[in-house]
Amino acid sequence: MVSEERAIAGGDWHPAGSSRSVAARLVARGGRIAAVPEGGDAALAEAPSGRAEISVRVGSIPRRVTFADGSVFETWDNDGIDRYLAANGRGGAGLVHWLEQFRLRLVVVVLAAFVLGAGIYRFGVPLLVEVAVRVTPPVVPELMAKGTMQALDAATFSPTRLAEAKRREIAEGFARIAAISPRGAAGYTLNFRDGGAIGPNAFALPDGTLVVTDQLVTLAGDDMEMIVGVLAHEIGHVELEHSLRQLYRAVGMAGLIMLIAGDVGSGVEDVLVQGGGLVALSYSRAAEAAADRRSVELMARAGFDPAAIARFFALLEEKLGDRSGTSMLSTHPGTPERRKDILDYARSLSGRQ
Amino acid sequence: MSLAGTSQPSAAGGGFHRVAFTGKASEYFGIWIVNVLLTIITLGIYSAWAKVRRNRYFFGNTVLLGRAFEYHARGLQILVGRLIVLGGLIVLNVLAALVPILVLLPTVVVLVALPWLVAKGLRFSARVTSYRNVRFDFVGTAGGAFKAFILGGLLAVITLGILSPLASRWVGRYIGTNLRYGGKAFDTDPRLGPLYKSWLLSLLIALVGLVIIGFLVVANLPMILAMIETPGALTPEQQVPLITSLVAGYVVLFVTFAVAGLFYRAGVRNITWSATTFDGQHRLMSDLSRRRYTWIAVTNVLVTLITFGLMRPWAAVRMARYTWEHTGVAFAGDVGELFARIEAQGSAIGAEFMDLEGFDFGF
Repeated sequence: MVSEERAIAGGDWHPAGSSRSVAARLVARGGRIAAVPEGGDAALAEAPSGRAEISVRVGSIPRRVTFADGSVFETWDNDGIDRYLAANGRGGAGLVHWLEQFRLRLVVVVLAAFVLGAGIYRFGVPLLVEVAVRVTPPVVPELMAKGTMQALDAATFSPTRLAEAKRREIAEGFARIAAISPRGAAGYTLNFRDGGAIGPNAFALPDGTLVVTDQLVTLAGDDMEMIVGVLAHEIGHVELEHSLRQLYRAVGMAGLIMLIAGDVGSGVEDVLVQGGGLVALSYSRAAEAAADRRSVELMARAGFDPAAIARFFALLEEKLGDRSGTSMLSTHPGTPERRKDILDYARSLSGRQ
Repeated sequence: MSLAGTSQPSAAGGGFHRVAFTGKASEYFGIWIVNVLLTIITLGIYSAWAKVRRNRYFFGNTVLLGRAFEYHARGLQILVGRLIVLGGLIVLNVLAALVPILVLLPTVVVLVALPWLVAKGLRFSARVTSYRNVRFDFVGTAGGAFKAFILGGLLAVITLGILSPLASRWVGRYIGTNLRYGGKAFDTDPRLGPLYKSWLLSLLIALVGLVIIGFLVVANLPMILAMIETPGALTPEQQVPLITSLVAGYVVLFVTFAVAGLFYRAGVRNITWSATTFDGQHRLMSDLSRRRYTWIAVTNVLVTLITFGLMRPWAAVRMARYTWEHTGVAFAGDVGELFARIEAQGSAIGAEFMDLEGFDFGF
């Protein structure tokens, strides 16, 4: 017979790997923990105190006590188990469960979660983006650009059919702009291509490779200064490292949604993704505006008409009448606003000089 | 809560023992918000342990015959599984970005690896789940996962949803026939007839949405035409109703397709579960009301959004309670006798330590 016996909890005992169960109670006696059948005394399983594995408390779900032989004692009596753990210096229900309880202190947890979450969104993601942009070796944008250029050349571009003189005129204007840019003229290469399916367009790749399509030059007519203004805008994108920034930002936001929204349900997640798309759109509009302003600055310092790019937007608006829906830019609702912002900025720049 | 499961008599006349869900919103709220906080503080690393706590809570409150299910995965296992998948994706995408010829590599590898990961993930989920001290197991192959999820999904998309019931049937069969409990097999064969009947209702709901959008287009047709012929001809005041209609159309589209999807999901669950047997004699059952299920899902999303996520725990518990309370099992013969016999079969025990979570696929 065993002397000092202290009941811990009542429940069921399972032999190892079996669904057969025996109504039992968990007891502490003589420095050991044992599962004893109801109305009996011989232990079904026992272990030295501290050697039986007791599952961590989560809410009020059943606790498992696993013995070395693989048999399991299961009980709904969480408090009994916690009392036993506390009495044996094993911390009771644990810190996480203490925090989780629906008490007033939970308000602090809620506030901390909201403040930290907002902080990561407002400061953490932009900071990480900055750091990532800084530590990215130049070879990465170079390789990215090379790949994109090869893909575009293979898929849609063909060699330019522009007159030599026209190309030289644009290249000279472009060189004047590039020379003032912090990266210097060597930091950029200008390419002429027949755009094919892409149509009238100009874009910059992150390593300083710029492309202007024949269709865009044709659209501009004789106004080569306007094309230089558009190229200055593209230089602005390269200088401000918009493509890398946008890439990292997209990654960061996806990470944040996954992180915080670990469990918001698929419906809310869909809505968040849609919302994230809108935020990304507004970010890219901000990037466009920044590049517009950079164009105005560069053009002014190179001695061109600072607002030349505004003429391009005016042209877009005008030409869209008979070229409905061919250009992605045509659906951009902000085109008149962009033009107005450019003119305002150009005026404020010349006012300061 | 009583633990009288063993002594409970078997329901007479093939009656169903319903599953109960005992979770409480207030209790889960604490678990949920602490999970969120610790996940943020640890920059995401804790999310693996958060998942364990969340699943332990939901499984541990899912009660059949007075006994709860249990979730046994460890945080570290899940973390390692996620890191491997994430690392693989990063390596693939960097390779694709750096070497242009390999631009399709990630897509190809993911397409090949996905079925394998799905099969692994399902096996993991099954093996870390137990009821009455006996683990589940899953024996589905990567080939089966390919047919059920990728081929089925592709067919459903290509045919604009017309073959969705076929895909649902394949998924149901893949999961339902490969699931094991104590070495004994589940079996299911959801029939196409009922699946199409359920699908037809969702089609009608989707059509209603399309008709509303058609009305919006017709109502705004003069202005849309004017817009196409001479862009910029519309004054900002004229654009307002147009933009309002555009937004309304988008919302109508989003909502009707979501509702159609929810109706369909509830219907498929009912049909698949009710066509499932365990060990050839015990029958499973699901009797969700499709309207009620959709109502709960839609209001859950709205309430969660309005409260900035704070009511998410309430929503999750509400949905779990509704679905589990409309799920049942009819045991053939004496339940006590049945559960005195079931033993874990070698491979499923402890083997989950070799498994990686891979992708999340609950069952």
